[in-house]
Amino acid sequence: MDSAEEKYAAFEETVNRTVYVDNLSPLVTEAVLKTAFNQFGNVEKVEFIANFTQLRSTSRCALVEMQNPKQAKQIVEEMSNLPFMMSGMPRPVRVLAAEKEMFEDRPRKPGRKITCRWLDQDDPDFQIAQKLKHLAKKHAAEASFLLKQQLAEEEKLANQQAETLKANYKKYEMMDAVLFDGTAKSLANHYDMKGFKPS
Amino acid sequence: MSHLMEVDKGENLEFNWGKKRGVGGNKKEVQFYESFTYDGVDYMLHDCVYMYKEGEPEPYIGKLIKIWENADKTKKVKVHWFFHPSEILNYFGDKEALQNEIFLASGEGVGVANVNPLEAIAGKCNVICISRDSRNPQPSEQELEMADYIFYRTFDVKHHTISDRMNDKVAGLEVKFIFNRKESEQTGNVPKLDSDKKAEAVACNQTLPLSGENPTVEFKAARTDGIANDLMETRSEDVKGLLVERKFLPGGKPVSSAALDSDAVATTSGQQGTIPGVKTDSNKREPEKSKLRDCRVVVKDKAKFTSDSDTSDRKSAKKSMAGMKALGTTSAPSERKLKLGFGKDILESDKGVKSGIDAGALEDRPSKKPRIDSSVKPEKKKNDGVQKLSINSDGNNADLAVTLTVGEKTKPEATFLGPDKDRKQRTDEKMIKFSNGKLLKVSAQDSPSEDIKTEGDGFEVTRRPDVERSKWFRPLPWEERMKSAHEQGTLVHLSNLDPEYTSGEVEDIIWNAFKENCTARMVQRTAISNRHSGQAFIILKTQAAAERIIKELEDRCLMLPNGSPIVGRSAPPLFQEKKSTFVGHLCIDKIKQQTQREMREAVSTSHCSQPNTIEYEMAMEWCLLQSRSERWWKQLYKQHGVELRKLKANLKLK
Repeated sequence: MDSAEEKYAAFEETVNRTVYVDNLSPLVTEAVLKTAFNQFGNVEKVEFIANFTQLRSTSRCALVEMQNPKQAKQIVEEMSNLPFMMSGMPRPVRVLAAEKEMFEDRPRKPGRKITCRWLDQDDPDFQIAQKLKHLAKKHAAEASFLLKQQLAEEEKLANQQAETLKANYKKYEMMDAVLFDGTAKSLANHYDMKGFKPS
Repeated sequence: MSHLMEVDKGENLEFNWGKKRGVGGNKKEVQFYESFTYDGVDYMLHDCVYMYKEGEPEPYIGKLIKIWENADKTKKVKVHWFFHPSEILNYFGDKEALQNEIFLASGEGVGVANVNPLEAIAGKCNVICISRDSRNPQPSEQELEMADYIFYRTFDVKHHTISDRMNDKVAGLEVKFIFNRKESEQTGNVPKLDSDKKAEAVACNQTLPLSGENPTVEFKAARTDGIANDLMETRSEDVKGLLVERKFLPGGKPVSSAALDSDAVATTSGQQGTIPGVKTDSNKREPEKSKLRDCRVVVKDKAKFTSDSDTSDRKSAKKSMAGMKALGTTSAPSERKLKLGFGKDILESDKGVKSGIDAGALEDRPSKKPRIDSSVKPEKKKNDGVQKLSINSDGNNADLAVTLTVGEKTKPEATFLGPDKDRKQRTDEKMIKFSNGKLLKVSAQDSPSEDIKTEGDGFEVTRRPDVERSKWFRPLPWEERMKSAHEQGTLVHLSNLDPEYTSGEVEDIIWNAFKENCTARMVQRTAISNRHSGQAFIILKTQAAAERIIKELEDRCLMLPNGSPIVGRSAPPLFQEKKSTFVGHLCIDKIKQQTQREMREAVSTSHCSQPNTIEYEMAMEWCLLQSRSERWWKQLYKQHGVELRKLKANLKLK
C-alpha cells in the first residue's frame, strides 16, 4: 500500500505542474505545442486529449506538463492577461490549470471503497432511481444542445470577422490603387493643390 | 632605514609553522604541514579562510586542502573555492539562494581549486554546512547564529548546474572534510576568532590619535582609555614606534630617550583635555568616515590590509548573525510543517494498512458474512424482510407466495421464515462453489441464480481477477479497439458514473455486477465536461454480453455509492459523421494563393498579440465570447446540480 500512496502523491505533483490547453487548431502538433510553451519554461511532456463524445466540436485539447508548478501557474496567469495565438490568428487558445480527471492513466485513489446495489421494481427507491436515470439523460441532451449553440455562436463571430477583414483589405487595396494609377495626382492638379507627391 | 622597515614587517607578520605532515617533491625538499600560526591566528588543514583581493567588494572564501613550504622557503596553500551567489547569478534559474549562502565548487575545470601564496590569507571564516545528509553532523542553533556563511549545495563549474547532492568525493576532496567537524573541535575555534577581531579593532583605534589631522577623531580614541591595563603596554609600544618613524624621516637628527618619555606624557595629557567634549550625532558620523580614511592612510603593509578586511568582516559578521536569526525563525515553521506532513503520512499509511487488513479479513471469511447480513437485516427492517421473502418465493415457489399474501402477516411468521432463508443461501453458496469449477457455459446458466442472490443486497466492489487477462498480445491503440468493437457490437457507453472513478475501477464494477470481463476507459474531462457525472466506454468480449448488460441496466437500477444509477446504452456512431472545419483562424485569399509554396516551409510562430492592432481587437472579441460561453456552461451545470440534489434527497437507501 505504501507504493500506492507514493504513486498517487507523485500523480498529484504531476497535476500541479500541468496546464490544460484548448481551442487548439487541428494544425497544432506536439512539436508546435512544445515550441510554444518552451517560451515560458521547460516542457516535459505533451499529451492530446482524445475526443470520443463531442462529435461536432473539432477544437482540440491538450495537457502540457511543465518542469515545476511555478512555471505552470505563471503560464495560466500570463495567458489570462494577453491573448496567445498558435498556428493561426486571431482566435486565441485558452489555458487553465489541470485537474485530476483530465488524465486518462491516473492511478486509483488509495483507500477508496465502492459498494453498489441492485434495485428491482418492487423496491421503494426504484421509481426515484428511474427518475434519476431520465434526469441524467435529459441533462446530457441539454449539454449537447448548449454545445451546439456555442458552436453556432463561434461560427457566426468567425464569419463576421472574416467580413471585417475583407472590408479592411479592400479599403487598403483601393487606397494603394488610387495612388498607383495616378488618379490622386490628377485630382490634385484639377483642384490646384500644390506640393502633393505620391512617393 | 630599510633595515628598520624589515624589522617592523617581521614583528607585524608573525608566522610559525605548526604540526608537520610529510615531505614531498622529487628531492624530498618540500615539507607539508597540518597547521600554522599567521598574524596571531591559528589555522588548521581544511579550515575556511578569507582571501583578500584589492578592488573586490567581497573577499573570496576557500577551504585549505594543502599547506606546504618549498625549498626556497616560499609558503604555498591549495584552496578549494566557494562561490558567492552574485558570482553565479546567471545559472540560478528558478532556484533562490538563502541569506548568507555560498556554494561549494565541484566538477572539473577552472574555478574549483588552485594554489596561492600563504600570505594572501586575510583571516578565518566560519562556514557551516546545513545539509541534511546523514554523514553531516547537524549544527546547533548557536552555531548557526555565529556562522559567517552557510552552504549545502554545490556548483558544477563544467556543466554550470547547482545540485544539493554530495558524492563521496567532490573534486577530489573527501566528503568528511566538506561537512561540519565534531562539536568539540568547532566550539574550540570560534572564541579565538572573536577575540582576535576585537584585538585588531582595538589596535586600529590606537593608531588614530597620533595622526593629529582631525581633532574630532580623538573622541573615538578617548573611549579606549577604559580598556584594561594589559592593552596599555601595546599602545605605548605603538606610540614609541611611530614617534621613532616620525622623527627619523625629516633629517635624521639624533633622538634621546628622555625626549621620547616626555612626548608620550604630553600625548596622554592632550587626551585628558578632550574627554569632557560634547558628543553629537554629526560628530559620531564624521569620525567613522575619517576613521576609515585614517586607516587607509596609515596602512602600508599587507598586515594592515588584513586588519582592514577584519574590520569589514566584523560588520558582515554582525549582519550575518542578524540574518541567521531571521533565518532561524523562518526555518522553524518549515520544520514544523515537515513534521506535520510526516505525521499525516504516518496516518495515511495506517489507513492503508487498515484497509489492507480489512480486505484480508473479508477474503479469509467470505462464507460467514452472508449469515450475518441475513440475520441482521430482518431485525432492522421487518417490512423489507417480508417483501424480500415474498420476492424470493416469487422466484422459486408461486404457491408459497400466494399463501403468504392471503394468509396472516404477523411477526412470528417472519421470524419463522428467517432460518429458511439461511438454508436457501447456503444451498446457493454450494451451487456457486460447484459452478466455479465448471466451464463458462455453466457459469452463464447459473448467472440468474446469482442475480437472485444479489436482490436487495449491496455488494462491495473488489478487485477483478487478473488471471484471465491475456498477456500474450499487446493491446492495440484505444481508438482502433473502440472502432472495431463498435463494428462488432461489443461497445457499451456508460454514463452517470462518479467522475472520480478510474478506468480500472469501472472494470471492477462491471466484473462484480455482471461477472463479465471488459476493458474500460473513462472519458477524460475537458473544460465543458459535466462535473456531476462521468462517462466511460467498455469493450466486452461478446455481443450477447453487451446486449445483456444494456438490457439489465435499462430494466433494473445499479446504484453507486453517491446515489446515482448507472445509465448504459449502445455507443452512438463515432467516426461516420463528417467533421466540420475549425473556425476562428482567418487569412486573406489572395495572399493564401500567392504564398502557397512558402506556407509549406514556413515555421509556425506562437505569440501574444499586442494591443492596438486588428488582430488584438478580434482576439478580444473571441475572449468575450469565450467568457460568455463559460458563463452559459456554469449556469447549466448549476441548474443540473440543484435538480439532482433535490431528487436524490428522496432516496431512502441504507
